[in-house]
Parts: sequence; structure tokens; C-alpha cells
Amino acid sequence: MITAMSRQNSNSLDAPSVRFDRVSLRYASAEDVLSDLSFELKQGSFTFLTGASGAGKTSLLKLIYLALRPSNGEVYLFGQRTSTLKRTQLSALRRRIGVVFQEFRLLDHLTAYENAALPLRVMGRKEKEYRPDVEELLRWVGLGERLNAYPATLSGGEQQRVAIARALVGKPDLLIADEPTGNVDPEMGMRLMRLFYELNKRLGASIIIATHDQNIIEKLDQPVLRLQHGLIARDNEFGAAS
Amino acid sequence: MSKRSHQTNRESPLLPQSDAREAALFFVVAALCFLAALAALTARASYGAAAGWTAEVEGELTVRLRSANSRTAKDATDLISAMDSVASARLIDREEAAALLTPWFGTDGLPAGLPLPVLIEVTATPEAGNLAPDIQRGLAEAGITATVDDHSSWAGDVRSALGSVRLAAFGAVLLLVATAIAVIAFATHAALLARRDIVDVLHLTGAEDGFIASLFERRFWLLGLQAGSIGALSALGLAALLVFATGQGGERSWLLPRLSLDFWDIFILLCTPILAGFAARGAARLTVIRTLAGTV
Repeated sequence: MITAMSRQNSNSLDAPSVRFDRVSLRYASAEDVLSDLSFELKQGSFTFLTGASGAGKTSLLKLIYLALRPSNGEVYLFGQRTSTLKRTQLSALRRRIGVVFQEFRLLDHLTAYENAALPLRVMGRKEKEYRPDVEELLRWVGLGERLNAYPATLSGGEQQRVAIARALVGKPDLLIADEPTGNVDPEMGMRLMRLFYELNKRLGASIIIATHDQNIIEKLDQPVLRLQHGLIARDNEFGAAS
Repeated sequence: MSKRSHQTNRESPLLPQSDAREAALFFVVAALCFLAALAALTARASYGAAAGWTAEVEGELTVRLRSANSRTAKDATDLISAMDSVASARLIDREEAAALLTPWFGTDGLPAGLPLPVLIEVTATPEAGNLAPDIQRGLAEAGITATVDDHSSWAGDVRSALGSVRLAAFGAVLLLVATAIAVIAFATHAALLARRDIVDVLHLTGAEDGFIASLFERRFWLLGLQAGSIGALSALGLAALLVFATGQGGERSWLLPRLSLDFWDIFILLCTPILAGFAARGAARLTVIRTLAGTV
């Protein structure tokens, strides 16, 4: 399945997938959730994002998948300065990013198949054209027999795999997963991680996974971005912020 | 595989089916469309009424002779008949004059001593201009003292009154359309908030604002069309009832507004759901685009 998928978008070779330049984020009048973060993630990189609850992992991911704007600093995606882009350009950028949300965010009134196909529908692709690909992708994540099941009838693990299929179906250049192992057993968690790793190696998609599961981080032995109180606390590649 | 198959190529709508809120909105829009259609028909009817009321008096003049005997009256009638631009002149006899006063004196006849003016009913030719001064001058030259009434005062009052009715009806149509748009905009905003989860997911998967707006546009376009149709049909029913009632109105039914349900009335009714659909669609689009513009 993975080898059959071709990369839709091309990036300039020297532009990192993600670059943060002195980025801070605060909600309303509260203190900074993220403070003065500067780092970059190269194309084709595989990165773990970790830290205690409330460290700012989800906020950082939201900045990357353009659900939030930074209070200060600049976020660059695929070499583009996001603060200067028009809304239509931001939408085009979002199509290059696949997101597996922590709470899945499947649409209850759509089947597993329809949820997985959502990004293609948003792109305006014809159903008869993408149906074989979506069905194959769902079979690949082990949901070949659950295509027409609604989210309410799926287990947590199944819902998660639908969310993963939805994130992958548009062949993204950047895949973001927020606590993808939080709702599955350890065995399924490792299986998902191997799936992400395979995607990264075979497709060259950059991958960022937020997790607090140290066991998984140690087993895969990939770069780690560790957040503590909104700052980069320690890592094995990025350099501490302070 | 369940029985539900994708082999049909039918995609589920990205917005869930309508809920109870939309049923209430449907009723409100249908009621507004009913009132708007009725106001538009009223405006149209006021034209018909104006035409009906003024046609009765325009092109006709009434000549009143003061203390004239029958000989003078006949001379005056002959003199007027001979004038250019006069199609006919007819002397109204006492019995006919008495009949005109029946609504005030009843059918038992007029009091014996009641003086009645001698009246001549004059019909002008269609191309005649202002005939009253010519008749007045002609009679004066013949030594006959008379007053000529061309009914212009009455017709002017009627036109003025009906102009006010038209203005009020037009204002009512505008007000109702504006209210419908405001209600739909409010409902769209509420629907947008209620479906925020769906909108967010679409947004984050790369849907442009126009794409998301189109989902709501389609929903409210159909709502506008359907509610507008119900409103227009209700207005048609009431108008038909009024047409029937007007037909049963007796001798003075010409005083009632003429709801004839002619081509233009039907055209108004046919346009009502289409306009409601467009208004609903436009309001929905504007609301969604404006709301999304406030997001990242």
C-alpha cells in the first residue's frame, strides 16, 4: 500500500518542513503557553514531541497544523512564512498536512469510509476515482470489514485507525499525531508506531508524534523535542532554548 | 459489509440532516414568505383598484344646470352633444337622479319638495383633452349657467390614497424580506456554532471558506425554496378566497381591491420561493464567510 502511494507535493529541497522562529503563544491574558521557541524539522524527519501534561505539546502542534496563530514570532511551513499567507493559501497548506487528533474528531454522521475520504472530498476529487484508494487504505489499517460502520459503533482503536487513514489519504508531506497511542493497548500502540515509521521511511513524509509514552520513544530511538513549561527543555537534536 | 454500500456512488451530506431548530426556522420563513407574497399581491391589487375606481370617472363629466327648465336642459344637452371631443351627452331625468340617491333616502322615493339639480352626463372621446372649460364656455355663451365637474378631484384623491397603499405594501415587502434575511442569518450563525466541530474538521483538512459556506448555502437554499413554496401556496389560497369573496360582494364589489390572480399575480407567487431561496442562500453564505474570517 505504501509503495503504491506517490507523493503529491514537492518541496524545495533545502526548506525544512517546519521552522519556528522565536515563537510564543499565549491564550487571552494568561501567561505564555509557549515561550520564544526556535527550532526546525527537516523534510523527511521523524520527531517525537514529549513533555508533561500542560507542557504545551498540543498547543505547539496546533501552531504547526495552523489551528492557531502565534502571539509572537514566525512559523514557517515548507519554507513559507505562514503569517503572510492568504486564507486560500493557508487552506492549500493544510492539505499538505495530515493530522491525527488526540480525540480523533471523526464526524459521527459519516461512515468510516466517508470519514477517511473526507480530505479528498474537500479537495474536490470524484468519489468513483478515489474509492479504490480509500478502501485499500482502510484495509491496510485493518478496517476492510468496517468500511460502512459509523464511529459510534467502532472501538477506540478502530476510530483511531480511521483517523489515521483520514490523515494519510491525502498523501501529506507532514503528518502530525497527537497522543496516537493514548487510546489503544500497548501492542496496537507499537503497531501504529511501526506504521508511522514505515510511512516516514518509504514516503519521506515528515512525522511529528506527540506522546508521553517513554517506552515507545526509547524503542524507536528517534529525535525527541521535549517541552517543559512552554520551553524546549532537552532533546537529542534541537538544542535547548535556554 | 453492511447492506449500506458505496456502490451507489451517493455521498452522505457533510452536514447532518436538519434538526428541530431548522423546523422552527422553516415555519418562520414560510410565514414571512406568505406575508411578503400577500403584501406584493396587495400592492399589485392597488393598481387594479386604482384603474377600476378611476376608470369609472375618468373620461366622464357631469354638468349641473342651475334652475333650468326642461327646455333649457334639452338645449344644453344638444349644445354639448354637438361639441368636438364629446362622444355623448345624456340628460339624467328625475327618476334616474332619485335612483342615485337611493342609498341615502331608501327605495320609498324622494320627499316631494326636494329640489334636484338638472344633470347631464357627458362622455368624452378617448382623445379628448381637458373638456370642462370648453363646455363651461359654450354654455355660458348660450346664456346657460352651469357647473362642470370633471371628477378630477375624486380621481386625484383615489390615486393619492392608492399610492399610499402601494407605498405601504412595498415597504411591507421590503421589511419582510429584510426580516427573513436577518432570521436566516441568525439561524445560519446558530447552525454554524452547533456544527462547529464539523466546520473545524473541514477547515483543518484544508477546506476553503467557500467550500464550507457552500454546504450551508445548499442547505438554506433548499429551505428557502421549500418554505417559500409553502408561503406562496398559502398566499395563493388566501388570494383565491378573496377573489371569490370579491365576486360575491354585490353591487359595490368594484370598491374592493381587485385580486384577479392574473399573469403578474401568478408570476409574483412563482417568484416568491425562488427569491426566498436566493435570499436564504445569500444570507447563509455571508454569515459563514464572515464568521470563518474571524478564525485562523
